Amino acid sequence: MTAEIFREHVLAEALGSGVPLGAYADADSLHYLFLREANEPLVLTHRLGASRAASAVSALWPAFSWDEREMAQERGVCFDALPDSRPLRAQRGVMPEAIVAYGEGLMHFVVGPVHAGVIEAGRFTFSSGGETVVHLDAQLGYAHRGVERALEGRSVFACAPLVARICGSCSAARSLAYANALEMLSSVGVSVPVHLARLVIAELERVYNHLGDLAASSSGAGSAVGFARGMALKEEAMRLNQIASGHRLLFDAIVPGGVSASVLGERRAVRAGLAVLERRTERYLDELFGNASLVSRWHGAGVVPPDASRAFGAVGPAHRASHGTVDIRAFAPYGAYRGLSIRVAHASSGDAFARCLVKRAELTESFRIARDALAAIGDSALPDVQHLSPGAGSVVTVVEGPRGAEVVALRTGSVGAVERLHVISASYRNWPLVVRAMEGNIVPDFPLVNKSFNLCYACADR
Amino acid sequence: MSFRKSLGIRHLVCGSCNGCEHEVNALTNAYYDITQEGWDIVASPRHADVITVTGPVTDAMRNAAHATLEATPTPHVIVAVGDCALGEGPWVGAAEAGDGAVVELGATVTVCGCPPSPSAIRAALADAAERITQRNPSR
Repeated sequence: MTAEIFREHVLAEALGSGVPLGAYADADSLHYLFLREANEPLVLTHRLGASRAASAVSALWPAFSWDEREMAQERGVCFDALPDSRPLRAQRGVMPEAIVAYGEGLMHFVVGPVHAGVIEAGRFTFSSGGETVVHLDAQLGYAHRGVERALEGRSVFACAPLVARICGSCSAARSLAYANALEMLSSVGVSVPVHLARLVIAELERVYNHLGDLAASSSGAGSAVGFARGMALKEEAMRLNQIASGHRLLFDAIVPGGVSASVLGERRAVRAGLAVLERRTERYLDELFGNASLVSRWHGAGVVPPDASRAFGAVGPAHRASHGTVDIRAFAPYGAYRGLSIRVAHASSGDAFARCLVKRAELTESFRIARDALAAIGDSALPDVQHLSPGAGSVVTVVEGPRGAEVVALRTGSVGAVERLHVISASYRNWPLVVRAMEGNIVPDFPLVNKSFNLCYACADR
Repeated sequence: MSFRKSLGIRHLVCGSCNGCEHEVNALTNAYYDITQEGWDIVASPRHADVITVTGPVTDAMRNAAHATLEATPTPHVIVAVGDCALGEGPWVGAAEAGDGAVVELGATVTVCGCPPSPSAIRAALADAAERITQRNPSR
């Protein structure tokens, strides 16, 4: 198959029923990943020739823009006609020049990589006419540690705590995707109580993240009370994480073959804590959304039109806030989400308000399904971690993290070592949308627009 | 009026996973509220007495990290927060991850953990405040 014909295949899937997950390269091939409803991920693979030449899908469909720039930089793939041919990240410590807009009265200014708040590092170059942003270039990669190459060759089990530490904010989701991958390669299924316990952990991750996002979105709109109360609730959620898993950020709670021994040991305390947090959260949400002066600042800020959301392959709450309907928990359910009826949150205005509204609905739903799962587990002890012996093979798994689809593509060798592990985070998918959402907005609304997405950097940079 | 042991804290993210940022941010929530100590997280290194560093110091952040430290008035104390910044974290040996803030940036106060708890970070900041006072008794 020629590179051009392969590109036609990828485009046909992208324009058809496939939800684009991302793309990556290994030593001899390109892989473009899609998800169809109620199916395992679909992998379209193209074998690279000696020249490593390929046709850029992003020339015609922008969703794979970052993936293809990364493949070119990290894996030496030679794309024809990349719309943005700059390296995705810094090379030998030097960030490529930012793209700016030129024109009468336009000015340029740079924010970062060190930010004024306690925020991860990134460089944002604004082109603005007066207060109006004409163009924004977001350059990340400051947290690029070389994670994927560091994992290659290690035992699949030694990699589990490392996978949990690629990104602190979506650790449990990624650990779940990784555990699912190893269990599929081992043809081992975990028991129902373990699936339920994993659901509780995954929903606790959504709860503390969404609370933090709403607090930050309040701060971005100037509501000190909304911020302070939201951050206090986030702290209470993190304390509940500690009780439920032995770790405030749920690191290492979900492990290949089961859950760690510290998960849901104090079941009664978790149930009680969840009930208190739910009550306090609902009161917070009522007051937040009942505050007209706050909500009016969210309306119309950072609009992502549905066509842009689709073209860039948006995922998670950002996707569902712009007419999107996909929530992996319902679209291609896994573990305890199979047979569960999730009420998928959605909104249509595509602005900061819509993203906050989706997170509000998802908080309510997370409490409901976590509560039901805890009731279903009952009081009996959770089973020990199962022994896995994954054979050589390839697998792609997807779960719904707080920010959307979290993908793990894993290839193992016969000795139980990682040959290639690629993670595609929801933040990686959605960052190009933040840039589009800012165009036409005023400069002082950047914190608000940015925080209404509240994307991570570490899992995008890796 | 005495400003002894008050601190301006500038946070410098050098390739952490954001786990340590969750805990540094927690210092300002209603439960830990470090402003009661006369401490505050400041927006510029020019206002800082303490630089808290997280992450292994990645290749991409190294220049910006040094520029931040050069912009910080003396005396100041550099605090390495979390295992990565101590040069011991999960990414030891990763190609584009550095050796941590102790080796690379000269951090003299350390707090281990993945991530450290807010209370542990708070204790490290108290240590930093003590050191600054000792170095500059007239303050």
